[in-house]
Amino acid sequence: MFDILLSGLDSFQSWQVIGGVLFGTVVGMIVGVLPGLGPLIGIILMLPLTFHMEPVAGMGLLISIFVAGSCGGAISAIVLRIPGTPLAAATLLDGYPMARNGRAADAIGLAIAASSISGVLGGIVMIFGAPLLASVATNFGPPEYFALAITGLLSISVVSDESTVKGLMTGALGVLLAMIGSDPLSNAARFTFGTNALSGGIHIVAIIVGLFALSEAAFQIIEGGYRKKPDVQPVRISLRSIKMTLRHWRNLLRSSAIGVFFGALPGASGIIASFTAYAIARGRPLAGDAEFGKGAEGGVVATESANNAACGGAMIPTLALAIPGDAATAVLLGALLLLGLVPGPQMFALSGDAVGGIFLAFLVSNVVLFFVGILMTPLFVAVLKLRKQYLVPTVLLLSIVGVYSVQSRVDDLWAMLVFGMLGFGLRRYGYPLAPIVIGLILGPIAEGSFRRTLLFSDDGAWFILERPIATTILAIDLIVLIFALTPKKTRQQIFGWMMSRSS
Amino acid sequence: MFTRFLKTAAVAALLSPLGGLVHADDYPSRNIEMMFPWGPGSAFAMAQIITNAMGEELDTNITVVSTPGAAGVKSFNTVQDDDADGYTLLDGWVAPLILQPLAGNTEFTYQDFTPLWSATRVPFAIVVRKDDERFPDYATFIEYLKENPGKARYSSGSIGNIPHMVIAKLLQTEGVYARNIPYPQDGDAFKDLRGGLLDFSFNDPITFQSNKDAFKTLVAFTNEDDVAAAYDDETQTLDDLGLDIGLTGLAPSGWNWFLVHKDTPDDIVATLNTAMEAALLRPDVQEKLKAAGFLPTMYSPDQYEEIVGPIGDQIAAAKDAIAWEAEQLKK
Repeated sequence: MFDILLSGLDSFQSWQVIGGVLFGTVVGMIVGVLPGLGPLIGIILMLPLTFHMEPVAGMGLLISIFVAGSCGGAISAIVLRIPGTPLAAATLLDGYPMARNGRAADAIGLAIAASSISGVLGGIVMIFGAPLLASVATNFGPPEYFALAITGLLSISVVSDESTVKGLMTGALGVLLAMIGSDPLSNAARFTFGTNALSGGIHIVAIIVGLFALSEAAFQIIEGGYRKKPDVQPVRISLRSIKMTLRHWRNLLRSSAIGVFFGALPGASGIIASFTAYAIARGRPLAGDAEFGKGAEGGVVATESANNAACGGAMIPTLALAIPGDAATAVLLGALLLLGLVPGPQMFALSGDAVGGIFLAFLVSNVVLFFVGILMTPLFVAVLKLRKQYLVPTVLLLSIVGVYSVQSRVDDLWAMLVFGMLGFGLRRYGYPLAPIVIGLILGPIAEGSFRRTLLFSDDGAWFILERPIATTILAIDLIVLIFALTPKKTRQQIFGWMMSRSS
Repeated sequence: MFTRFLKTAAVAALLSPLGGLVHADDYPSRNIEMMFPWGPGSAFAMAQIITNAMGEELDTNITVVSTPGAAGVKSFNTVQDDDADGYTLLDGWVAPLILQPLAGNTEFTYQDFTPLWSATRVPFAIVVRKDDERFPDYATFIEYLKENPGKARYSSGSIGNIPHMVIAKLLQTEGVYARNIPYPQDGDAFKDLRGGLLDFSFNDPITFQSNKDAFKTLVAFTNEDDVAAAYDDETQTLDDLGLDIGLTGLAPSGWNWFLVHKDTPDDIVATLNTAMEAALLRPDVQEKLKAAGFLPTMYSPDQYEEIVGPIGDQIAAAKDAIAWEAEQLKK
């Protein structure tokens, strides 16, 4: 693979490629920050521009949008409690409390540094481990996806600060909401009440922006103090965030590995990766860090490193097998074809220089992301200096424009309003919102995978036990579940007994 | 205050038809949208290539909007519900345009839209794993299915689409059947074919080229040698195997035709047609479409009825194969 990287140097060393990466990173940050847009829309918007570019330059531009857009959503999540992209829904769990505690710049710095470092790590795995991870991915069929979805759903109990039971209730609500639309197997209409607007389901962006941003705007309005000038410390451009991030190096490495793994599995996504990484990091807090859910640095590092490492992971099946990991990589796959590159194992042999150039563009875009992000941080934090009388209308305006831009449908705005009211009610009565996102993402994966498993099987669900990886994952899930349900005192007794036996 | 409001409303109501007239003369005076019936992917990028070139001809932006839902029908209904002003185009893929109405899942037929030019076609084939010793060729494949009725698993992507119909029709013609496993994305099915969970699958030329190390074709659903050659030189056509499944020409392929609302004014349709023809004739557009495995069809708006009508008849006759497959599996 070193040979491919070296052969790509020539095609990478051009102003068009470097300019494309720089431009793509800035565009990616902007579409990531703006609610509703995100890397997918950014790639779609810029795709026509690449029609007239060299392959490496075109892909460099689009990949930079993919990378920076996956990170940019964290900024609006931290500053405004609007996840700019669904990917950042887990980041606001600790990022927004950090901002409320006066540490917005630190939180943004952590998010950018963690994204950048994990992106490079994910890129290195993509370059050197693509064939291996691609073959691992082909061994993950519906039974394994079902088992992983159950693992993800278990993380609801971890992200539910308010109450596990309430978290499970809102998680179930998310699963139910995901059922609206077309049945994933038969295409039959489900809970659409005969309306065309619901036949494709409710768009996840409308749900998330409504739940988080609109409910927050309502709380801000109730809180009052519209003309009070916020006390925000001046922010200087600094590289301190790298040092802060590296304090969490174990968390960073672990979350990056989780991100690459989930990213490499087509159909799983950075969202599952970030919630899973968050759930695991929460069980291993760093000494001196704030409590998780109340502004822990570790929470931001876990989620952001996982979802940006997932970018490298998602490129693996896209490049090696022509199997896109998600919608954004599906468009990148289309772009590859348009630019004259046919993905698959033969692409590495036939177009090694172009592949090397694309790999280099991926790595460099992650480095550029850090510097662009750090330079833009004071601009983002400046939003917090707005008086509430300007900030709340700005949040509402951004939410409306962002949600409308996804499908250009007014129905989405109505959905956002309904979920805004629902989010307000749920928060008021102490029901956590993050499990809704987990249910929305994992519900269809769990359902579809389980039903596909049954179609493969001649013996019903027992088919899962014929698959070693799925069985192992489910066994671990069971142990975790029993552990979580066991009273703390009994757990300590068991651990004490185990320790004495081992000594 | 109230009187002024009433006066304003009355003037606005009187002027609105005039506004519509001005609209047609100035067309296009704002951005145009193209409703795309699936999630973003390669076909979405192809729509962008054509609309981008059309936009250059019309000196405006045409945005492709992914509106998946109800097996593609949602985008068709959306266009029907929108104003017939030429600002909402439709990427009319065959499954929601022909197959879904035949299945009784829509209130429209292909005749309820005004055609622009046809866009592209994607031929399909049946592929198996290269190292699968059970299926050295098409004849042994059919033999295996005969000996193991309903045991084999395949995927056509989603249920009830064109690949499902053509595979079910072929198997019905041979008197065999297998179980179709639907996937939300075609790529997931190809992954599970590589992984050994599926026994066979549909494929398109570009995916096949990308997976040539692992897949081989058994038959391409075409009678045209040059179309089969989009896979490789060894790919056999229906004619090569002496098969007649009642689907010829475009009928066993995926194809799309750009459409607009039926009531769209003629002058606007003419403007769109001129722009689309110019866009499709551009060598760079043709080259890009072909490179991505989407073969330009170049049928004019006048040929819509002549082409689509007979295809509809063929599909109507073949679609029962899906129900036949379901019946066999229930036995």
